[in-house]
Amino acid sequence: MKTTFNRLVLSLTSVNRQHIQLAFIVLTLTMLVLGVGAPEDAGGNTLRK
Amino acid sequence: MILLVAVAGGLCIGIGVARWRGLPYQPPALQYLWLVFVAFLPQFVILYLPNVRQQIPDLWAAALLTASQILLLAFAWLNRKLPGMKILLLGAALNFTVMAANGGFMPISPQTASRLVPQEILQEIPPGERFGTKDILLHPEDTRFEWLADRFLPPVWSPYQVAFSLGDVFIALGVFWLLARQNHSGSFL
Repeated sequence: MKTTFNRLVLSLTSVNRQHIQLAFIVLTLTMLVLGVGAPEDAGGNTLRK
Repeated sequence: MILLVAVAGGLCIGIGVARWRGLPYQPPALQYLWLVFVAFLPQFVILYLPNVRQQIPDLWAAALLTASQILLLAFAWLNRKLPGMKILLLGAALNFTVMAANGGFMPISPQTASRLVPQEILQEIPPGERFGTKDILLHPEDTRFEWLADRFLPPVWSPYQVAFSLGDVFIALGVFWLLARQNHSGSFL
């Protein structure tokens, strides 16, 4: 029982770590492309009058 | 928006191909991640926070934007061996070139801008003024490297209108490739 529980915890920890790592990479790449890219749709309140 | 679609599309294709092959998805092994957070922070503050944005003079905004882009270029250069990053780096360099040559902002012509906002709003923005997030309204004849400016548009019938540059196209292709391509041997992507 204890071994099963430990395996489950280990599995969840592994999955979470992978998901967090992936989310971190995607967030980094999103910031990168938003930072170097400059498409303009003039949406929202970003227009200065 | 188009850049976020490229990120989402590349990720979906990458995960889909990995699952189809029965292998775990391997995100690109980026290094120096902290550099992106440090570089993007000033852009986030001066461009996306309306209160701060209105208080910072354009000269300061241009200087911070340029410094931020130099750091992001350095990050892309440090990770240039990853598949797709060289394409992204090329796009970033093209955007940096045209922006640095035009006062730190991306030039957009009044004609192109007229597809994005109503004419009555556009008439209130004189040439040389900032337009949108990173752009500056400039006539083509007053624009350096005009062919690298925000000059491309989707078809008129498209419900979403956006102006984008040649550099943006390379950036979108690069990040798509970066996320879609898997390093497993024999992968077709």
